[in-house]
Amino acid sequence: MKTRAEAERLAIDTGILVNLGFYVSISIIFAILALGFNLQWGYTGLFNAGIAGFFLIGAYTAAIAITPPTPPSTGYPGHLGGFQLPLAVGALLAMAMSGLAAALVALPTVRLRADYLAIATLAFAEVVRTVALNLEPVTAGTIGIVGIPHILTFSGPDAAFLNAATDVGVGAAILAGLFLGLHFILESPWGRVLRAVREDEEATMAVGKNTFRYKLQVFAIGGALMGLAGWLFALTLLYIEPSGSFAPAITFSVWVMVIVGGAGNLRGAIAGAFVIYGLEWLSVQLKDVAPDFLKDSIPYIRLMIVGALLIILIIYRPQGILREKKRVLR
Amino acid sequence: MEHREILRVGRVRKAFGGISAVDDCSLSVSPQSVTGLIGPNGAGKSTLFNLVAGLYQPDEGEIWFNETRIDGRPPFEIVHLGLTKTWQIPHELRNMTVLENLVLAAKHNAGEHLLNLFVRPGQVRRDEKMWRARAREILKLTQLDALANEHAKGLSGGQKKLLELARALMTDPTLVLLDEPVAGVNPTLAANLMDLIEKLRQGGRTFFLIEHDMNVVMNRCDRVIVMHQGRTIADGTPASVKANPLVIDSYLGG
Repeated sequence: MKTRAEAERLAIDTGILVNLGFYVSISIIFAILALGFNLQWGYTGLFNAGIAGFFLIGAYTAAIAITPPTPPSTGYPGHLGGFQLPLAVGALLAMAMSGLAAALVALPTVRLRADYLAIATLAFAEVVRTVALNLEPVTAGTIGIVGIPHILTFSGPDAAFLNAATDVGVGAAILAGLFLGLHFILESPWGRVLRAVREDEEATMAVGKNTFRYKLQVFAIGGALMGLAGWLFALTLLYIEPSGSFAPAITFSVWVMVIVGGAGNLRGAIAGAFVIYGLEWLSVQLKDVAPDFLKDSIPYIRLMIVGALLIILIIYRPQGILREKKRVLR
Repeated sequence: MEHREILRVGRVRKAFGGISAVDDCSLSVSPQSVTGLIGPNGAGKSTLFNLVAGLYQPDEGEIWFNETRIDGRPPFEIVHLGLTKTWQIPHELRNMTVLENLVLAAKHNAGEHLLNLFVRPGQVRRDEKMWRARAREILKLTQLDALANEHAKGLSGGQKKLLELARALMTDPTLVLLDEPVAGVNPTLAANLMDLIEKLRQGGRTFFLIEHDMNVVMNRCDRVIVMHQGRTIADGTPASVKANPLVIDSYLGG
């Protein structure tokens, strides 16, 4: 029989692991967003400022698809849903909806110059978020969607640990799959056209490429990846609401991740996500141990560190931590 | 206009804001010729090239390439018909290697279609291998083979001009529009480049080039067209154009 002290120590240990697992899970979600943005901007030069919008569409589509019917309760307005579809179907629907939204946004805007594309997509994301805030019958408005199931259901004292482990395992498997899949399509003649569009779209047209088609494809695929990240986010947090999780700040974080990690290569985007979200996670952890006078300023110190890191990198290593490699053809 | 001309531009007009860059311009280019296009700065020569290549849409007029009307068509379609252009200021793909710059320009490469990567992997491999070999041939021809795996941004100005031509040749064009191919290129290299163009012409290609180097224009072109204020003011053999008072007045100077 375990002594009480041992049991307590174990609980603390798994508590740390659950916490670390949360860090890894959220980092993976950011990494998927960063991979989507890196595909659009790092490879193709399309500056998407509406990442949060595609992320939101994926998260809400998934939540509506997979959540069981909400039992009637006072104060909760309810939302569209109760379909209780399998999780994989939820993932496919999330990707399809976000990908479709991205393609529709891209149709009129992707021909615009980079700065105008940024303005148009930023506006799109805010429109989407405002709709989510106000379309109560579908999204439950400001309260958001609750009761999203875990990936697997566990019970008992280890449930929290097992849930965290499942989230990390599923996330890591998806990230690995995306890494391999994206590597395959990007290091191909198709991917070469994308890099050419980034370098000089006019010249790419003048050697016979239908650049519009490539840009449309890339926007849709990137959007679908952001939708997949939304699905994973819903399953990890079990609860989504429009104001915080899908604010423009999410988009800005993903930019920083790709710039810091290194654009135009897959490992850079992933590394950037783990580093930049790591700083946020650390700042939350430090809150418990920091001296009183520092506690309230920690989030701001984090922002200062991120800002300084960004400036230093842009000056001394503009390619990011991991730089794009030269492709030597044989 | 003679119907057998490879390129026919008929009464084309293009204005930017209130300024007519190309104004009621008509001209034609004969197959397998080296035709020069000269004229003072701002005459509309580069704009005309952009109109022919489909990068700009004309406000009025028609452009025919062989039997096909090409005005209003997107640039990639025009390239596929066999018409390519290069730029006065090289548009090299900076962070890609010289070899990548060339292989990219191949006309039909199965791997450039996303779906083919999954459903026709064999064809993708074969095409890529074939085009890399072809790119290496063209690099030899343009004396860039030693730089195949260098980033294009590392090339000198003259080498970038060669890269422009090499990349244009990868599209297997029948008509190449060259915007100042030897500007900024040292005399030896320029001579080599023009020799190469002559050799390619004998192989069946047609060149239409903007050039300010009168040596090149007078000695290398079969025919010279002169533009001034958006329209053609002279068209004929180099000797006849050189003697034309209108041309002397507006461009060559007395």
